[in-house]
Amino acid sequence: MAVTFEKTREAKSFYSGRWLKFLRDNASIILIYTIILLVIGIAAVFNENFRSPSNLVNIFRQSIILGLIAIGQSVVALTGGLDMSVAQVARIVGLTVATIFAAEGSNPDLIIPLIFLGLLIGMAIGLFNGIIITRTHANPFIITLGIASILRGINLAISSTPIRGIPKAYLLIYDFKIGIIPVNVLVMALIWVIAYIFTTRTRTGRAFFAVGGSERVARLSAISYNRTLVVAHTFCSVCAALTGLFLLARTGVGDPSAAEGMDFQSIVAVALGGISLYGGRGSMIGTLGGVLLLATLSNVFNLLQVNIYYQQLFLGLIVLITVAAYKSPRAA
Amino acid sequence: MTNVSNNVPSDTVILSLKHIEKSFGGIHALSDVSFDLRAGEIHALVGENGAGKSTLIKIVTGAYTPDAGEIQINGSVYKSLDPTQARNLGIAAVYQEFNLLPELSVAENISLGAQPLGRFRLIDKKARSALAYELLERLGAHTHIDPDEVVKRLTVGEQQLVEIAKALAINARILIMDEPSAILPSRDLDRLFTVIRNLRDEGRGIIYISHRLNEIFELADRVTVLKDGQTMATKNVADTNHAELVSLMVGRPLTDMYPPKDNTPGEILLEVRDLCVEGTVYHVNFNVRAGEVVGLAGLGGSGRTTVCRALVALADVRSGEIIYRGKPAPRSPAAAAQAGLVLVPEDRKTYGLVLNQSMRFNLSLPNLSQFSLMGILHSAKEKGTIYKIIKNLQIKPPVPDISTENLSGGNQQKVVVGKWLLANPKLVIFDEPTRGIDVGAKAEIYMRIRELTRQGVGVIMASSELPELIGMCDRILVFYEGRLSGEIPREQFSEEAIMRLATGVKVNEE
Repeated sequence: MAVTFEKTREAKSFYSGRWLKFLRDNASIILIYTIILLVIGIAAVFNENFRSPSNLVNIFRQSIILGLIAIGQSVVALTGGLDMSVAQVARIVGLTVATIFAAEGSNPDLIIPLIFLGLLIGMAIGLFNGIIITRTHANPFIITLGIASILRGINLAISSTPIRGIPKAYLLIYDFKIGIIPVNVLVMALIWVIAYIFTTRTRTGRAFFAVGGSERVARLSAISYNRTLVVAHTFCSVCAALTGLFLLARTGVGDPSAAEGMDFQSIVAVALGGISLYGGRGSMIGTLGGVLLLATLSNVFNLLQVNIYYQQLFLGLIVLITVAAYKSPRAA
Repeated sequence: MTNVSNNVPSDTVILSLKHIEKSFGGIHALSDVSFDLRAGEIHALVGENGAGKSTLIKIVTGAYTPDAGEIQINGSVYKSLDPTQARNLGIAAVYQEFNLLPELSVAENISLGAQPLGRFRLIDKKARSALAYELLERLGAHTHIDPDEVVKRLTVGEQQLVEIAKALAINARILIMDEPSAILPSRDLDRLFTVIRNLRDEGRGIIYISHRLNEIFELADRVTVLKDGQTMATKNVADTNHAELVSLMVGRPLTDMYPPKDNTPGEILLEVRDLCVEGTVYHVNFNVRAGEVVGLAGLGGSGRTTVCRALVALADVRSGEIIYRGKPAPRSPAAAAQAGLVLVPEDRKTYGLVLNQSMRFNLSLPNLSQFSLMGILHSAKEKGTIYKIIKNLQIKPPVPDISTENLSGGNQQKVVVGKWLLANPKLVIFDEPTRGIDVGAKAEIYMRIRELTRQGVGVIMASSELPELIGMCDRILVFYEGRLSGEIPREQFSEEAIMRLATGVKVNEE
C-alpha cells in the first residue's frame, strides 16, 4: 500500500524535500543536542577534570532529579498546562516518609511500604489537581500554583528543620551501582522510556497532543478532555513523588527545603527541549536534551566555580532566549 | 413595504471602486467589482453569503489589498489602502462584532484614539465627557446613554450607537454598516434607522449591508447586488422590487457536479421537538431519517448553525427535546461523537483540525479505538487505514505525515470529512461542507455524502450555497430569525422559493 503512494507525483515531489523537512521539523531537537555536544566538547578541551569518565557519569547522576520532574512536567506541558506544584509534591513526599522513618526508629522493613506510600501521595495530589482543573475549567498554572501554596504550608507544619533517622538501606536507592552505572540512572531511563511510549504509542498519548493542540477539536473528536487532563496531572505528580523519594535518599535527611526551584527549572528544561508552552507540540527526546544541557552546564559551572548567583541569572537568561527563539510562528 | 425614502442624493461621488479583484489561495473572492457611493446616500449592498460583501468592505477599510483595480476617494486614486490611511480619509465601519473595550466608559471608548489633553498634558476628563455628550446628542442618544457609563452595562443597541459615535469622532464621511440589524432586537431598529437617515442628511455616504430585503426598501436609496464576486447590478431602490433582487442574487445555472440521488429514507434517526436556544433559536421541530439528506437553509444569524451545534451539545439547549435513535441525545460533544452523531463543523480551522498536527494524527483522532489494543496503538494498522482513506478521498499530497496547516482548504476539508467517514457514523451534520473550497473538492465531498446515505447514514446539510442544497437534499428546512419558516419538498426546490422563506418575504407581498 505504502509503495503505491510513494510512486505518485505529488508524493515524489514532496519526498524530494524530505531531508529539508526533517531538519525543519526537528530543528529544536537538533539544535539542543548540537549545543550539548558543543558545551561538552569545549569543556572537555579546556578542563581536565571534566573529561574524566567519573565526571561524565556524574552529569547523568546530577540530571536524575531534574530529569524525573521534567518528564512529568513535559506531559502536562503537552496538554497546554504547567504544573507549578511539582517541587512541593517532591518535598511533601520526602518529609512524610522521613517523619515516619524517624517515628518508627529507622526500621528498614518500612522501606518498601513507604516508597509505595510516597507514590500514593503523589498520585492523590495529581488526581486532585486534575479534578479541580477540569471542574473549574481554570488555567492549570493558577490552580497548581494555589495547590503548591497549600502544600508549602503543610510542609512547614510537618517540619521546619531537617528530619534525621533515615535507615542506611534506604540510601541505596540513590547510591547503588551496577558496574559503573548508578541504579538511579537506570530508573530514570526506564521512566523516560515509559513516558516516550506513553506519549507516542498510546491513545492517551495522542489525547495529550490533541487537547494541547486544540481543546475544541479534541472534544468534538470523541476525546475526553477531563480524563486526559486528570491522567496528565496524575502522571506528573507521580514523577514528582518519585523525585522526592530519590532526593530523600540522596541527602539522607528529610529536608524542608528539598526540590527548591525545581518547578521553575523543570519548565526551563521542557521549554529548552522544544515543547511548546502553548501545548500540543514537542517530544520526550527534546525534554531529555533540555535536562542534559542544564545538567552539563551546571556541572561546568561547578568545575569553574562560578558563583551560584550567576548560575541563577544565567538560567533566567536561558528562559528568555528560548522562549524568544521558539516563539510560535503562528503567533502573528 | 413601499419605498418611503424621498431623499435626493447629490451627484458627488465620494467613493468609487473600479474593477476590483481579489483572490485567496487561488479562489476568487472578488473577480470584477465596481461600486460607487455618493455623498448623502444610503447605498445597500446585498448578496448571498460568500458573494464577496465582506471582502469588499475589508478592501475599503484597508484590511485587504486588492489584486487589481483602483479605489477613488474624493477624486484621488489609490491602488490600495492601509487601515490608518482609510481612517484618515474618513472611512469608518461598524461591524457586527463591536470594537469596544467593555470595561471602559462610553467617553473613554469614543476618545480612545485621541484623548483630549488638558493641563500638564494629562487627560482632560471633563472635555472627554463633553465631547462624548455632544456626539451622542447628534445621534439623539444623549438622553439615554450616559458618557460616563461603563460600556458593558449598555444594551447591544446602545453599544452600536457608541460605535457610530466613534465614527463621528473621526468625522467619518464614509460609514459602513455591516448587517447592523442582525444583532438588534426589533424595537431598536427604528431608532437605528433614524440615526442612519440623519447621518445621510448631513451629507455622509453610508454603505448598508443587510440580508433583510424589507429593510433595504425602507431605508436605502440605491442597492448594489453582488454575486460570486461580481457586481450584478446597481439599481435605484425606487425602480426595483423584491423579486428582481432575489433573482439577481441567485439565478445561476445548476451544474452537474451533484451525483444523482439514489437513496431511500428509512426509519427516523433524529427527532427535534420544540427546540429553543437562548436568544437564537425558537421552537424548532423536525426529524431526520436514515439514508436521507435534510438541508438547512437560512441566512447568517438565522439560527441554522446554532441548531447544528445544539444537536451535538455544543450550544446550550434551553428547552425542547432532541431524540437520537429513540433516546435523548448525548449531552457532550465527545459522547455524541462516540454514539455516531457527528458534526463536521463550519469552521474547519477552529473546530475541525488540530492544525499543527499531521494528516495522520487528525484522521486517526476520533478513531483511535479501531487502531489500538488495551490503549496501545497498533501503528501498522493505523497507517494502512489512513493510506486507504487518503487514496479514497484523493487528498493531496498523499503524504500522511504532512502537517494539516500546509494543506489547501479543499484538502483540509477532505481530512475533516475523512476522519468521520472512518468513524462509521450514524448521523452526520455537515455545516457549510464546501465553504471556500475548489470545485473538484466540492464534487468529491458530494460523492462521499451520497455514499454515506447509501449506507443508511442520515445527513443534515446546513449551507448558504443554495445550488448545493438543491442538488443534494431530499427536503430543505428554511430558517428565518431563529424560527423554522418553512419546509420545501424536493419537487418544489428553487432558489427563489428558499430565498423567499429565508428573507422573511410573505407570499402575499409578491
